[in-house]
Amino acid sequence: MAVHVLETDGQVCPFPIVEAKEAIALLDLGDELVINFDCTQATDALPRWAAEEGYPVTNFDRVGDAAWTITVQKA
Amino acid sequence: MMSRSVNSAFTTAAKVKNERGYDMLLTGLGLGIALGFAMQRGRFCVTGAFRDLWVTGNTRWITAFLIVIAVQSVGVFTLDAVGVISLSSSAFPWLATVLGAFLFGFAIVLAGGCATGTYYRAGEGLVGSWLALIFYALFSAISKTGVLATGVSGLRSVTVEASTVHGLLGVSPWLLIAVLASAVGLLVRHHLRKRPGARLATLPPRKRGIAHLLFEKQWGAFTTALVIAALAILAWPLSWATGREAGLGITGPSSNIVNYLVSGDAEVIDWGVYLVIGILTGAFIAAKGSGEFRIRIPDAVTTVRSIAGGALMGIGASLAGGCTIGNAMVNTASFELQGWVAFGFMILGTGAATRLFITGPSKARSARNAAAAGSSSQTATPGPNAARASVRR
Repeated sequence: MAVHVLETDGQVCPFPIVEAKEAIALLDLGDELVINFDCTQATDALPRWAAEEGYPVTNFDRVGDAAWTITVQKA
Repeated sequence: MMSRSVNSAFTTAAKVKNERGYDMLLTGLGLGIALGFAMQRGRFCVTGAFRDLWVTGNTRWITAFLIVIAVQSVGVFTLDAVGVISLSSSAFPWLATVLGAFLFGFAIVLAGGCATGTYYRAGEGLVGSWLALIFYALFSAISKTGVLATGVSGLRSVTVEASTVHGLLGVSPWLLIAVLASAVGLLVRHHLRKRPGARLATLPPRKRGIAHLLFEKQWGAFTTALVIAALAILAWPLSWATGREAGLGITGPSSNIVNYLVSGDAEVIDWGVYLVIGILTGAFIAAKGSGEFRIRIPDAVTTVRSIAGGALMGIGASLAGGCTIGNAMVNTASFELQGWVAFGFMILGTGAATRLFITGPSKARSARNAAAAGSSSQTATPGPNAARASVRR
């Protein structure tokens, strides 16, 4: 099981979620995708996307002022 | 208070201001702060709502937007019926509305936010939004009172003798409100029923009590919509009391700020100017208080897109007679043809730009990735960030 990291800091919405979709398409089942982002709207959009796709979220936290990280597992 | 020795021109100007009421103008600042705060904390983004229709087909945020229109509609026609405001209408400038709204819808994708979205993201510290905002205000002034004004008013003089949807259909506006409210009610029910099965991941709380409620708790799209609808209704009588006979509006005030800055003429400062300054302030307070403010410098592509988007937004909104707020959220609530036609063409413009700049490039990358995966899994075509993407094992 691999952990992949996608850096989207500096990208405005919807690019974090668009790139997360592209990235997760390339992963194997069970792999985790760490998405680092600083678009405020993505704090709403990314967890909702994961829930709707049925991907478990194993980590979701702030890493600083206006900076977040979310880990989504491909399932 | 005011010295009697000041020159007469100044006292005359001050008298005019006082008749309109300085303290009344301050209600614009207060309402703007509340609105900016609610938009930032609620993550209310009209561009996102329109764009989602084309990127994912998701209708959650457009439903929230429609809630604002429907609730505000009830408020506006009630205020009109009891005589607090009196809605008037003029001939519908269809050509400029169609062209301007499409252009505006296209531009907000480039700028990464509509007019209010750009104001509140500027308050979050996004330098790309600062640039979009400056060029939006500048090109609004250029289009309304500058070198493009003749062209804009020429296009806006192409009208049809109809102004409101209920006037055109010959029905009571309350019938339209009932139809709209029912449709929105069905959409809301649909979304509340299909809540995702898996629990939504939330950020671990770090604050307690009132600080948690104000600066941390997630608001939810529909709650945010109700708060914004209440503020949008309140805007009507407050603005009306100062002589500005309209609801929420962003483009006119932004143009007024530029005109004030370059001419020094304080007469252009109206309730709307206080409103937009309030939005910026309220968003800053919300972002700072919740640890979501940081000066963020855009890359080269985002910088160019922000500037181009802002400039085209200024022209588009001036042509269409309003932005996503003034037209698509406020003129729709009073069932003006201009509002609903602009709403439709803004969504179309957003769709065109989304295909050109977001879904098109993304599909192309995914297709290349899929083809590459067939030969070797290590040669995936990189997205804009792939240089910084890495794999840990």
